[in-house]
Amino acid sequence: MLLEQLAGNLFQGLVLGAVYGMATMGLSLIFGVLRIVNVGHGAFIMVGAFVTLWLFTALGISPLVAVPVAFVVGLGLGFIFYYTAIKKLIKAPELASLLATFSIGILLEEVIKLIFGSEFRGYNWALPKIDLGVTVLPLSKLYACIGSIIIALILYLWFNKTRAGTAMRSVVEDTEGAKVCGVNVDRVYANSFAIGIGLTLASGVLLTMFIPVGINPYMGGSYTLKAFVIAVLGGLTSPYGAFFGGLVFGLIENGSYTLFALIPGVEPFALTRFLSFLMLLVILLIRPTGILKGK
Amino acid sequence: MSLLKLEKVTKRFGGLVAVNNVSLEISEGERLGIVGPNGSGKTTLFNLISGVHIPDEGRITFRGQDITRFPPYKRAPLGLGRTFQIPRPFASATVRENVAVGAMFGTLGKELSVNECLELADHYLDFMGLRAHADKQAGTLTPVEKKLLEIARALAMKPRLILMDEAMAGMHPKDIDKMVRLIQEVSDRENIAVVAMVEHIMRAVLGLAQRVVVLHQGAKLVDSSTKEALNDPRVVEVYLGHPPEE
Amino acid sequence: MGKRLSTYGPFIPVLALYVIIFLVGKGVQGMWQVMAMLTFYCALGQAFNIFLGMTGYVDFGYVAFLGVGTYGMALSITYLAHQGMTGPAVIIIGFLLALIFPALLSMAVGAVALRLRGAYFAIATIGVNEGFRYLIEGAKIWNGSEGMIFTSELNQVLGRDTASGLSTFWADVYLFIIAALAALVTLHFMRSRIGYALTALREDEDAAKVMGINVTKYKIIAFITSACFAGLVGGTSWALKTPYVFPPEVFEIHYTIEAIIIVLLGGAGTLMGPVIGALIYGLSKYYLSIILPGFQLLIFAPIIIVIIIAFPDGVMGVVKQRLRGTSLARFIE
Repeated sequence: MLLEQLAGNLFQGLVLGAVYGMATMGLSLIFGVLRIVNVGHGAFIMVGAFVTLWLFTALGISPLVAVPVAFVVGLGLGFIFYYTAIKKLIKAPELASLLATFSIGILLEEVIKLIFGSEFRGYNWALPKIDLGVTVLPLSKLYACIGSIIIALILYLWFNKTRAGTAMRSVVEDTEGAKVCGVNVDRVYANSFAIGIGLTLASGVLLTMFIPVGINPYMGGSYTLKAFVIAVLGGLTSPYGAFFGGLVFGLIENGSYTLFALIPGVEPFALTRFLSFLMLLVILLIRPTGILKGK
Repeated sequence: MSLLKLEKVTKRFGGLVAVNNVSLEISEGERLGIVGPNGSGKTTLFNLISGVHIPDEGRITFRGQDITRFPPYKRAPLGLGRTFQIPRPFASATVRENVAVGAMFGTLGKELSVNECLELADHYLDFMGLRAHADKQAGTLTPVEKKLLEIARALAMKPRLILMDEAMAGMHPKDIDKMVRLIQEVSDRENIAVVAMVEHIMRAVLGLAQRVVVLHQGAKLVDSSTKEALNDPRVVEVYLGHPPEE
Repeated sequence: MGKRLSTYGPFIPVLALYVIIFLVGKGVQGMWQVMAMLTFYCALGQAFNIFLGMTGYVDFGYVAFLGVGTYGMALSITYLAHQGMTGPAVIIIGFLLALIFPALLSMAVGAVALRLRGAYFAIATIGVNEGFRYLIEGAKIWNGSEGMIFTSELNQVLGRDTASGLSTFWADVYLFIIAALAALVTLHFMRSRIGYALTALREDEDAAKVMGINVTKYKIIAFITSACFAGLVGGTSWALKTPYVFPPEVFEIHYTIEAIIIVLLGGAGTLMGPVIGALIYGLSKYYLSIILPGFQLLIFAPIIIVIIIAFPDGVMGVVKQRLRGTSLARFIE
């Protein structure tokens, strides 16, 4: 009985983990290329969720179509914030870029609150549930999982098979070297930031499929924390590391929830959130360069 | 007894042997030039002495104390000062405060009050000709002034040994002559050993150093008086295309 | 005397501002609560500045120290009241716990996070407040998510009149004292080798190490000091003034945001900056909440971004530069 439940929850964790992983790739891409920590990460996920909500409730557009729309909106936001703020802060002390991205996050939250209000919202995408043996899964979650994997694959191919992707990788490896080899580092910075934000908004779309009525201007904070745990698990500079970090995190989150629920007199949900914070500290303590990264 | 002693020190990065089995001794007040082309291992050697890196093998002793595994902040108070190739002043602090930091955490750090450190700073600012800039923010100095500031800061530590990283690179010959004179003077007066690391054997090193060590691919190639080193055919070979008079 | 004046001279204008705030609150009808709010922001800014301003490290979980300080005071009042203890000693023990709790938490967090540089440190701290909140709620420590209400215990300990005087007046006076003490400690740091070490490591950590500075030690000194003052602010403003504590409120990241705004506005790492930042932020927040309720953060977020890009030194940073070399300079830090 317990094992069955654990297996079911772990499977759900894997499904959610794939989406978590994809939701962290943008963060890792931006840190890898620009060495800037996007502390406002969760706010961009939130914007993606609101794009989905608005498209669905106002225009009746399917969340699956919302993925590319959110990506494009994210590209736009990314370029705007890059050229108005981030560009000027790349050479500044770290304090400046940390506080700037943090403030950008607050700005997004407040703008969305102004437009949509601060109550919790959701949308009802009536899809059937399917029985997978270990667990019963709403089709929407399965779509989200598959969508995440597809996006991760596209990013992988784009990184490895295109000139722009290669230029980005070279900047991650060695910024000075890339400059010498004629890579336009400034453009790589702008593109990476925009793509990172685009990916993050797109992940916001997929995450709505796990939170039926959890869309709210301040929903991003908890995703920021989770994304940091995942990114640190994956080595912080590698989008693929982040993807696998997400899978591991999804497993741990759901697995620990099942186990915490066995302890009498505690709130398992709160404890899983405490655990993610603890994991962050422990990973940073033993291996700040990431657990999953090779070398 | 020698001031600084390196015994068979080796440092590897991955498969690359950056410093290979180097032994070296420096006596009190001696002025040594460490010469080697880019990639010869001299930067790593400097980092091993100042504690930025810890050697994989070998032993480093300073004033009779084994400092092989000491972090940098424990070496400085023993009397090990350092300047950087590209000066790194504490930009938002004033010039005087920068030099005072040297005094505060140097060999006399524990004995001097903050005010005494500020007075000592003024003394070395006078010596380096920077007194007029004492209240300026260090970040606003010219590149040459920043180099002088770095040396003043290192001197305020009252060190027994100063490691100078390309101290004279990119300077006008006139400024170089002045700097060499200043360093010689203070080294003689306060009995401070100087280890100057340079890419090429230039006039500045010849004027300053009594002894020269040439590094080649991480290993010590030559260790002799400056005059002998100049006539050593191996040195000429390493510097093919870089005549000593450069 | 001259030497002492130049050492502690800059404390005079800061203290003067505190006295002015106090007198305006006392003398002008209906201004006490506004001035009390400003004092809270002054104390918060003054405390946070010791870490953020002097080291250049950002602690996104800073509010956790206020939170545990609040719990320190709350626990001592609740527990000691149940033991039948009364009198001011209870409050003094409360203040002690409001110091010890944040000190312990800052040591634990600092031991891990302060080994890390810049961005990694910030990442490590980002979940401290949430993490602690969820530990309390999840493991049902100290009443878990139900929080603690100790109005009757406070009445029992001090008597009804004193207790109400505490929450309407004396708690705010204590905050003045805490803010002024934090300013004094800041100035003391600035004038001692601690301040020089912190400036050095803020500007260039590697160079500072080679200069003989044990950077981790000085970072931890600043971190613990800053955390302790935060704990006192929490214990005073959130426990004595309002005798209840709920985890989501006292670990709310909003207060970290306010502390950051105040320190940056006023000028990070300066002595008077937090006071100036608190005055600008507090007053504009107060009047905005009357004119445009609910829009404060919408207005402040872009302002921080502009400050970071265009005026990274804040108000006092600019003032200090202007005054450099003049006779006023020795009264301004």
